Amino acid sequence: MNHRPRLVEVLYRAETGPIIEEAAFERTLVTPTIRAAVEHYGIKFDEETAVNSDDDLADRVFQAGFDVARDVGLFCQDTSRRIVWTQKELEAGLRYCPSEVTFGLGVDTVTLRTRTPEDTNRVGIVGGAYGVPVPEEMYVPLALSYLKEPIFDSVDNPSLETVYGHPIKAGTAWEVLGARREAELALLAAGMVGRSGIPLGCVEMSPTQLGALAGASWGGYRPSDWHHVSTLSEFKVNHDTLSIATHIARIGGALEAYYNPIYGGYVGGAEGVAVAIVAGLILINQTYVAQVYNTRPNHPFYNCDTTRELIWATGLGIQALARNTNLITETLVGPAGGPGTKTMLYENAAFTLATTVSGQSAMTASHSAGGAVPRHASGLDAKICGETVHASSGKTRGEANEIVNRLIALYESDLETNPKGQPFEEVYDQDTIEPTPEWQGLYDEVREEVIGMGLPMDRMVW
Amino acid sequence: MSTYEELVGDMVDVLLGDDPDEVVTWAESVLEGGVAAVDFFNKVFTPAMAQIGDKFAALDIFLPELIDSAERAQAISKDVLEPIFEAEDSGAQISRGTIVICTVQGDLHDIGKNMVSLMLQVNGFDVIDMGINVPPRLALDKAKEVDADILGLSALMTTSQPYMKECVELRDGFGMKDQFAIIVGGAPITAEYTAQIGADAFGKSAVEAVEKCFALMEER
Repeated sequence: MNHRPRLVEVLYRAETGPIIEEAAFERTLVTPTIRAAVEHYGIKFDEETAVNSDDDLADRVFQAGFDVARDVGLFCQDTSRRIVWTQKELEAGLRYCPSEVTFGLGVDTVTLRTRTPEDTNRVGIVGGAYGVPVPEEMYVPLALSYLKEPIFDSVDNPSLETVYGHPIKAGTAWEVLGARREAELALLAAGMVGRSGIPLGCVEMSPTQLGALAGASWGGYRPSDWHHVSTLSEFKVNHDTLSIATHIARIGGALEAYYNPIYGGYVGGAEGVAVAIVAGLILINQTYVAQVYNTRPNHPFYNCDTTRELIWATGLGIQALARNTNLITETLVGPAGGPGTKTMLYENAAFTLATTVSGQSAMTASHSAGGAVPRHASGLDAKICGETVHASSGKTRGEANEIVNRLIALYESDLETNPKGQPFEEVYDQDTIEPTPEWQGLYDEVREEVIGMGLPMDRMVW
Repeated sequence: MSTYEELVGDMVDVLLGDDPDEVVTWAESVLEGGVAAVDFFNKVFTPAMAQIGDKFAALDIFLPELIDSAERAQAISKDVLEPIFEAEDSGAQISRGTIVICTVQGDLHDIGKNMVSLMLQVNGFDVIDMGINVPPRLALDKAKEVDADILGLSALMTTSQPYMKECVELRDGFGMKDQFAIIVGGAPITAEYTAQIGADAFGKSAVEAVEKCFALMEER
């Protein structure tokens, strides 16, 4: 199914919807509507449960999120208007959303399909440094550390700190040049390992529409690549994001839209985050007419999504959508830990297991060290997620809950210590692009521990 | 009469309670009960606001409650304490300083900046929040216009960091370095970057930003 014809109506509503101040949107609509929905549907975080198995709770979260989507809508910052939809329109939007999408070219294509909780169908795995800032000379080596791993179906990219030695300044020609250079380097790296057709994550940190549009123009990233469009927290879009969605739609590109609620922010606590994930992904399906929908909620102080509360909320939100819609959903793990730490490996395994058994269609990894510390990312960071995805096939949510609880106990107390780990050049040999013996050794230790917990990463088939 | 410690607890309850209109009448009743305005400010108001900040730092309360608390505290300050201090001509200072804050040009993220803004407010600063995507020149002009003590700049994107540098360069280039300090923050910002661009302080989190602003005020 292709729902792109709705885009014209989206743009029209962004110009004609109800007018409201941005602060009022957040305070008089987002916060009270989510609070009321959480209360009305009796949604309550359970500290003992990291992975929900209660289908009735998941369905109530879906209803709550749907109500919020209908009653709040998205706010367009440039027009000070809400983009709102009726119940029937949102229902139709979900009924006719894409339930299957193919990215990439030739033998490098990957197909994602909608899944349900505990589904044994295949989950796509996207590895990459996801916008982690890197110097120009490190761009290709860091990309290669992911591209060399066969477990990844797609590879997302780091972000250049500079272009030809100059800072990349948002909203200027530097942003255009940076995006073009990034595309050149990403395609170069993919070709170096014989994976020219692999779907590549496009201009991860495009601050305005300039980077995304320039990167996805002739000679740059291809329509078959992994294009992104963001939503600003909470429930906000603008002319830049709408322009990106429009451009990618009209070049026939495959689009991943994402929404990242902030824990403790306008949506409230764990219950509010779960509801906001449902509402947000329903709304960006309606508005961005994308193919895949991603969430990566954030803890405001640890900059991660691997706290007990956020793992519960993310898994529950995904379950709610997987049980009640055909949306192709995915999550991005954002550990507090970084390369060279066991903390990060435990975090990534726990988050991945929770969201995979909950019904996501793809796992994207890893926003290591919160995703913002320059050079703090490496291929092994995401490989643990890929191995977890495959090993989790056949696991029930109850079984996953036991393992995730054990993993959380291993890292929970580390989260507040800023365990950012080591930069890429200290955990990978820069000539061979192989992990250092120390980093590989830590990885192997954690892998054995996780296998011991009952997650068969060492089996040959899944 | 309640002890100051009890009054601090009462004020926290009122700030987080269901009735937004209760704060002013509660504060007036405390003063009518014999507590001097200066003592109320120093021994009740300020510690109560610090407790609110601590609760948010521990995420025992969330952003909406922090916003409500800041607004209610503002009402006590404007409607109850300031008129008394003005009438008494006591010279008592309610504000700990004036801070202009914004997310810099090219960046539309605001939740982190809003958290810092609110934490500064609950800790007694007058905060002028210019919002998001603010060009350097506008931020500097506003800081100059309101005679700010500190200009706070937030950026979540590496591609907006150059505008922080531009802000510092323009401030220094226009000879305003001694007029107000510049504090920077946001996910990609580091202490090294702060030193590199010549900003005066770096706040890694909302809590640390408040601490650094107190330190900057001490230096002034």
